[in-house]
Amino acid sequence: MKLNINGVERQVATDWQDETLLTVLRDHLGLSGTRFSCGIGQCGACLVHVEGSPVTSCLMSVKDAANKNILTIEGLAAEDGTLHPLQQAWIDDSVPQCGYCQSGQIMQALALLETTPDPDDADIDQAMNGNLCRCGTYDRIRKSIKNAAIVMREAN
Amino acid sequence: MAGLSRRKFLIATGWIAGGATVLYTLRNKAISVAPTIIFPDAESGAAWLQIRPDGVCRMFFARMDMGQNANTGLAQIVAEELNLKVQDIEGVTPSTSDVPPIAVTAGSMSLTAFSRPTAIAAATLRESMRARAAIKLGIPGSDILDDAGGFQTTDGRKVKYADLVDQTNVMVEFDDSKPAPNLYTFDANRDKKQVGHDVTPLDIRALVTGGAVYTADVPMQNLLFGRAIQPPVRNARIAKLDTTGVSDTKGFVKLVQQDEFVGVVCKTPSAVDAAMAKISVTWDLQQPINQQEIDRLVDVDAEMALGDLEHILLDEAHRKDVDWAIDLRFDVQTQTHAAQEPRAAIARFNDVDNEGETDHGLEIWTGTQDPFGIKRFAAMDTGLSEDDVVVYPQRLGGGFGGREHYEVERDAVRLARAVKQTVKVQWTRQDEFTASRSRPASAHRLRIATDDAGNLSDWWYGYVTGHVVFARERLPGWLLPVARMAEDMGVVKGALSPYSAPHQRVEYKDVDLPIDLGVWRSLNGAPAIFAIESAMDELAQQKNIDPVDFKITQMNGGHPRLKNCLQRVAALSAKTPLPEGAGYGRGFACGIYDKRCYVAVSADIHIDHETQKIKVLHMTCAQDVGMAVNPGQLRAQIESNLAWSVGMALLERFEVGDNAIQSANFDNYSIVRMADMPSLDIEIVDQPNIPPAGAGEVALVAGPPAIANAIRAASGFRALSLPISFEDVV
Repeated sequence: MKLNINGVERQVATDWQDETLLTVLRDHLGLSGTRFSCGIGQCGACLVHVEGSPVTSCLMSVKDAANKNILTIEGLAAEDGTLHPLQQAWIDDSVPQCGYCQSGQIMQALALLETTPDPDDADIDQAMNGNLCRCGTYDRIRKSIKNAAIVMREAN
Repeated sequence: MAGLSRRKFLIATGWIAGGATVLYTLRNKAISVAPTIIFPDAESGAAWLQIRPDGVCRMFFARMDMGQNANTGLAQIVAEELNLKVQDIEGVTPSTSDVPPIAVTAGSMSLTAFSRPTAIAAATLRESMRARAAIKLGIPGSDILDDAGGFQTTDGRKVKYADLVDQTNVMVEFDDSKPAPNLYTFDANRDKKQVGHDVTPLDIRALVTGGAVYTADVPMQNLLFGRAIQPPVRNARIAKLDTTGVSDTKGFVKLVQQDEFVGVVCKTPSAVDAAMAKISVTWDLQQPINQQEIDRLVDVDAEMALGDLEHILLDEAHRKDVDWAIDLRFDVQTQTHAAQEPRAAIARFNDVDNEGETDHGLEIWTGTQDPFGIKRFAAMDTGLSEDDVVVYPQRLGGGFGGREHYEVERDAVRLARAVKQTVKVQWTRQDEFTASRSRPASAHRLRIATDDAGNLSDWWYGYVTGHVVFARERLPGWLLPVARMAEDMGVVKGALSPYSAPHQRVEYKDVDLPIDLGVWRSLNGAPAIFAIESAMDELAQQKNIDPVDFKITQMNGGHPRLKNCLQRVAALSAKTPLPEGAGYGRGFACGIYDKRCYVAVSADIHIDHETQKIKVLHMTCAQDVGMAVNPGQLRAQIESNLAWSVGMALLERFEVGDNAIQSANFDNYSIVRMADMPSLDIEIVDQPNIPPAGAGEVALVAGPPAIANAIRAASGFRALSLPISFEDVV
């Protein structure tokens, strides 16, 4: 079984083929930036993109991800280390506190900006409402999404 | 540990290898840097830092990082004292074998307790470097002036720290019974370069690229996965256990049973889920678990009817038979931590007779607020000596008071020992809800009378709550009844009001509740101050007086810092007009957390009949933080507390069912989401002459009553229990 993760083809060993996409990413392939938090698709900490769409990887069987293109938080920055505008905005406004949910927050924000390049508050509420942050960094997430959106629009 | 043995210790662990190191001995027992809550030891507690031979300043990060980012603040203090940039400082999180015991990270105490020792250690190092520079250059120390990264002479020669150290070990000792060197951090007239400025967390890049390492991310060879059953309450006994079919699970390795402990080890994480699903336990409970039983046990009116409550905190010319203007009961239900990271631990047993990387029989990787407590409990659990156990503390994905016990670590340790291989355990979300030791339910009776002039004459506040710090199994069983005769420092938080009255009594009783409980953000601070600030607001509303003016008047000239916060928040809130129309209201509340942190909050709410919801639109907060070491991170902590305030006031409903905890995941326990979050306006009151007050759990005491008071202003409804629902109000 093969997965195409962040542009790199990875093999899934036989013992791991009954697992979820999340546990394969984390515990088999060492891509631990995608986090486990609720296990039932209710919090967004494990969010990755599969074929360009946001997916809670705790609910996806790795079999269903076979041969598909998967983007995780580790693949978001450019190869030379240049951060994605969302990541840079997150740093500029010092968004993370404990940080555990932030991979999922950034991946969901990416999905939002791909369909809605200039989101208003209602767009952000709707898109981000499934991504929980117990530290309550929402105010900074909202600002950072808007700041990143400006940078991304200017780049296009 | 005495200076000499500590020195040997540091050399033996490799912490010292050339350069200059400060050994800091704390003799002042008043400074609360005791190692762990449970086993205080006033001799311990230390701040180490070092100029390495290459000139780099290295410090131990003695605080467990769970998002509060206290270590950055302490690094700023070191940088200020040594004329460095904070980014130049190398921080190291020590294992329990690298240092003598350090205090549990709790109580918003990190900057309060550690700022001064850290500043003294750094200033001591700076002055010893200055003395070395004087010898090297053959001029008096008074002619050697500060410069970035070292010193310069009056005639312009520069000396860097790296020029003053070599491979020889230099020990710089400071004993806090001696006068402290000049501390730049606490010099209000100094133009500070590091302290008082916004510094983003030093590791923030890792936090946005997925590179941050929490316990479950620690790379391990030959790792197995395990999990244990969490009982509904820790004193439950197994009545019936059915493990049929567990060993048939694909990837199954071992079933482990030891008294009430039942767990499995498998080759992959999902195999653990599958095996655990096949285990069925019937529990024998020592007392029934249900909401009615909890309500009965905290029934403050029933307890007060029997006479004085167990503990009397304040008793001044108390009068019982008065014409009470306010006689209200407030009920606050259980609330849980729900940190985003389900706790995890990795354990490995080593054959120490063989030549290995470590001479420890047991290694534990875990995110905990109390690494030394975990080490001690692991030794007790396994029968190993404490010297044989090492804990490698990891970053926490949220703590909030819920990560102080030997629990997930126990699971990993027992399973690893049974299979003689490294085992990782991560709790499920349901385990977190069941076993996180939530904040106890409590009930509060507040009676207030006023005199002819409208001032407070009588104040009678009684409350009943579950234990907080003295909760079950926090202490050895024999010690518990003894400890409970004393004041539980968690239960008394927030109980004494800032308001003045000639006749006052404050009394409480703490009781054993049928579910496991413990420390939650602000402890009893938020429940008690919710009751006090709601009652005072109600009195002002009944008298038709402005609640802010009324509260300030009733402080009777006391608590100027709190008064200042209230005045500032009144001004801050006025910047944003409350929308016109029915269903909108603005409320205020204030509070003192732990006698050192002062805060006032306003909330604007809308009771929305269309969506059938209460929405918090806007909150403002003025918080007196003492000296603001890192204003941006203080602001972050306040934002977090205001988010929690919305959750506590309106959303978080912990369900206890018939002999089980019903709340199991985020689909049946609501925490604040993006759409619930109000806009915020925050003012930090910086007091450069006062030590840092701490901020991790402060604004949460004033946020919930501000929201409840806003609902009262909007609708006339006085919330007597939390959380408040739309249906309660209409």
